[in-house]
Amino acid sequence: MTRNRGLLAALTLCSFWIAASFPATAADLKSPQLVKTALRIFAGVYGDMSRKLAAQQYDRLPHENQEFQEGAQAMRDAIAGEPATFKAKVGPVLSKTLAASTHVADVSKSHDETQVKAALGALADSMKELNALFPESLRSLPGTVGPPGS
Amino acid sequence: MSMWNAPSRQTVSRRWAAVALLANCAARYVPARGAIARSVTLDVASDGDLLAFRPDSLTCSSGARVHLVFHHAGKYITQDHNWVLVKPGTAAAVAAAGLKAGEVQGWVEPGDSNVLAATRPCGKGEHASVDFIAPPPGDYPFLCTNPGHGAVMHGVLHVTAPRSTVNT
Repeated sequence: MTRNRGLLAALTLCSFWIAASFPATAADLKSPQLVKTALRIFAGVYGDMSRKLAAQQYDRLPHENQEFQEGAQAMRDAIAGEPATFKAKVGPVLSKTLAASTHVADVSKSHDETQVKAALGALADSMKELNALFPESLRSLPGTVGPPGS
Repeated sequence: MSMWNAPSRQTVSRRWAAVALLANCAARYVPARGAIARSVTLDVASDGDLLAFRPDSLTCSSGARVHLVFHHAGKYITQDHNWVLVKPGTAAAVAAAGLKAGEVQGWVEPGDSNVLAATRPCGKGEHASVDFIAPPPGDYPFLCTNPGHGAVMHGVLHVTAPRSTVNT
């Protein structure tokens, strides 16, 4: 009985911790607009990378990676005021996304369409993981940032 | 020495007063009419660091002297943008020619007959401007010719008949 109560208490504590770590709505974030902008920047650069691949402009991809890395500062600024637990969740996923972007630049030197496509796919997966940490209303998934007004 | 036909000091003063009055009237009248009917300043900016123009729709009247100011409103990403006005249906060709011309030429092929006006490329936080005479009425595309940008970073300049000049 006492053991069950202990388990229940631990589970309750865990659910509170999870609820506190992941903002359910945009209003829970300190800078929701900046989060939205950061995710849109990533999606925009990803779109640009895809267009470079389609046009076989492999030599421009390292430059796109540079833009991706610079755009990460917007995300760092956006979560600067968030609780440490939330930052600890975002940090590793952001690092993984940036590494995936660097990989796109690295394989672009091969001018091998298949390799670059695979690297872009891995980047898209990381971006989806990053987006999932934020409320749906702020997300910009890869391939969704199109022409103005869209 | 005949003095009878020389104008008196009073006459000279009157003549100068008349000239000054005429000049004053002209200065007030001509710019007022001309400025309202024939000049327009258009402001356009990048949508922060995103590949989009804000606004993406501009209007002026045909024949107007246009002073266009472009502001690169980006904060994070080091990427250049320009504003290039082109003839209808030539945006893709201008972008392709710009790609060949390269960064040295500001991503615009020198002497490209499809280009009606273009600013220099500018970095985040910078402004660039261009002056041009608005073409005949119609819808004219504008875009950023930095490689890959034009596909999403574009808009339309609506050129109306001369009477409906819009001033900003």
